[in-house]
Amino acid sequence: MILKLITMNGYGVYVWMSFSIVFISCAFVYFKTKKTLKKYEQEFLKELQTLTLEEKNKALETSKVAQQILTISSKVN
Amino acid sequence: MFKFFSSTNIYLIIQKLVKFINSIFFLILIIGLTFALVLSPPDYLQGDAVRIMYVHVPSAWIGLACFFVITLLSILNYIFKIKNFYFINKSIAPIGLLFTCLAIATGSLWGQPTWGTWWAWDARLTSMLALMFFYIFYILTFKLLNNEELIIKVSSIIAIVGSINLPIIKYSVEWWATLHQPASIKITGSSTIHSEMMLPLMVMLLVFLLYAALIFLMKYKTEIIRIKKKNIKRN
Repeated sequence: MILKLITMNGYGVYVWMSFSIVFISCAFVYFKTKKTLKKYEQEFLKELQTLTLEEKNKALETSKVAQQILTISSKVN
Repeated sequence: MFKFFSSTNIYLIIQKLVKFINSIFFLILIIGLTFALVLSPPDYLQGDAVRIMYVHVPSAWIGLACFFVITLLSILNYIFKIKNFYFINKSIAPIGLLFTCLAIATGSLWGQPTWGTWWAWDARLTSMLALMFFYIFYILTFKLLNNEELIIKVSSIIAIVGSINLPIIKYSVEWWATLHQPASIKITGSSTIHSEMMLPLMVMLLVFLLYAALIFLMKYKTEIIRIKKKNIKRN
């Protein structure tokens, strides 16, 4: 049964290679996209840190996105 | 109504959607793979090589659909100047390129055991290759150009010119004598694919769509953060 699943009557190389290419490529793109997103979140936080306390509070009051990123980063840390 | 579509609201919706997709993705993936690799029957002519269809066909469909959406949004952006469409297109294009490349690669792997060749300058294969180049040129405009106005103009032209290729891809198997088989699944008219193969194909399509949605949402979220980062000091 397992051997049949692996060899697929001689077509196993083509089938498994196709599925492997798809899943390796998709995983690569997923992790690359996630890494870029994290990088931008970190850069955003750094930018937020450079602001004065007053500017920072104003930014957090007006921007829900800033609040969200700050919340997520504090959860991670 | 327009407030609902503000980047802040979109950002919050994206957070929830990403969580939802992450929670159901692996379950549907396992179901799809079980059907595609184990439960679905082999083809009476192609044998088990037909299982490549379960990754090849959804990849090709999504590759085509992404370019169609890009063209549509480019035209709308050109007319109505809705900047959000520009960011949506920027986020969709890499997904379209990925799936077009995967359709070509898996098609080549399917071609070898069934046609006896990895590649042929057949109308369907060549038009898919052309689509891949349109995607590359489209993405290059974002990487190489700096002026946003110019990027919108050039990328819209590429999308509109490239859209001429979409009906060519669709009807290439009918207009020319090709190695590639005609469509088995038709929106209008009866499909010639058995339900035992149709079900895994649809499950795998759902898996690929969820994956594409996940990548799109992450890329779009990155774009929103970039805009917010630019605006943070102005606030």
